[in-house]
Amino acid sequence: MHEFSIADEIVKNVIDTARKNGGKKVLSIQLDIGELTHLNGEQVTFWIKELFKDTVAEGAKVKVKTIKASIQCKSCGYKGGMGSDQDSFRHLIPASCPRCNSFQIKIEKGRECILRKIQVLK
Amino acid sequence: MKIIKSKGPEIFDIELEKDLLAKNKSLAKGNRKRFDSSNILAIDIMGSIGSGKTSLIKAILRKLRMGRKVAVIAGDLTTTIDAERIETEGARVIQVNTGKECHLDANLIRQAVGKMNLDGVEVLFIENVGNLICPGEFPLGAHKRLVVTSVTEGPYTLMKHPYIFREANIIVLNKIDLAKAMKVNPSRLARDAYRINPQAPFIKANALKGVGIPRILRALGLRS
Repeated sequence: MHEFSIADEIVKNVIDTARKNGGKKVLSIQLDIGELTHLNGEQVTFWIKELFKDTVAEGAKVKVKTIKASIQCKSCGYKGGMGSDQDSFRHLIPASCPRCNSFQIKIEKGRECILRKIQVLK
Repeated sequence: MKIIKSKGPEIFDIELEKDLLAKNKSLAKGNRKRFDSSNILAIDIMGSIGSGKTSLIKAILRKLRMGRKVAVIAGDLTTTIDAERIETEGARVIQVNTGKECHLDANLIRQAVGKMNLDGVEVLFIENVGNLICPGEFPLGAHKRLVVTSVTEGPYTLMKHPYIFREANIIVLNKIDLAKAMKVNPSRLARDAYRINPQAPFIKANALKGVGIPRILRALGLRS
């Protein structure tokens, strides 16, 4: 969902940053995507690579890492991951505390889409 | 932003650490602060195309009878149809046309609020663009999020769009009078809603006849 528009923003940021820092060519970018964002990493990568064509970032490597979800439970105070390894089901089941099953949780990590760094050739 | 010299004199790592999804979240927080500072209860009304969002808001306004103490931001790609329909109930209304965007975002709300006179307003309804996919991902800073779907969309709507229903504080099943004609079983939909979001009250309604409105008002923390 909205993979294209976020890819567009990422590409704009990359090219802008390269230009401002005297980069002649972008070699690679590092992207971290939270697992609760509903962003499909492969689709985002696909669109980024497409939008990189005919720019200083053409051919740049796109490295994507997943940020695991991390929560704080308001009921029992639990702080940590969501526990289950069943990634394919996580987005369907309402998020609850893995310790006490309460739904009163605050999501600390897992909803980000972070452009961590880019590598440029000067 | 840090620049680290990497390998050799020509290759550099530039660390941005930029969260592209942070902007909407921080704008939403700003909107919430704005509402809180004026003691305005803000409610985001989401739902499918043609589910009855506008009719629901009209029915709520008729029951509340708060006149100009209620404000409404109506969101749509284009036209002022919704704003005009709501205006007849006596609330302050502003229409936001998103153009290409398929959902309202916190920035549009911030701009709309900036254009409105909210002195004396106690409740603000935001009617989101008809869409069960995107709006869930873009918090506006509202205190409550209500999602309305209707029996005329068939029996699989909740199962097929769990994300937005999971974000809802209240789920409304509208056009309940047509359930038999549509061969849709509201109890099955209630069961789907409970599976996806056990916390949210599931309220059956007929907005055109005012059925279910008192329960919705109670769930929103409003009194008629």
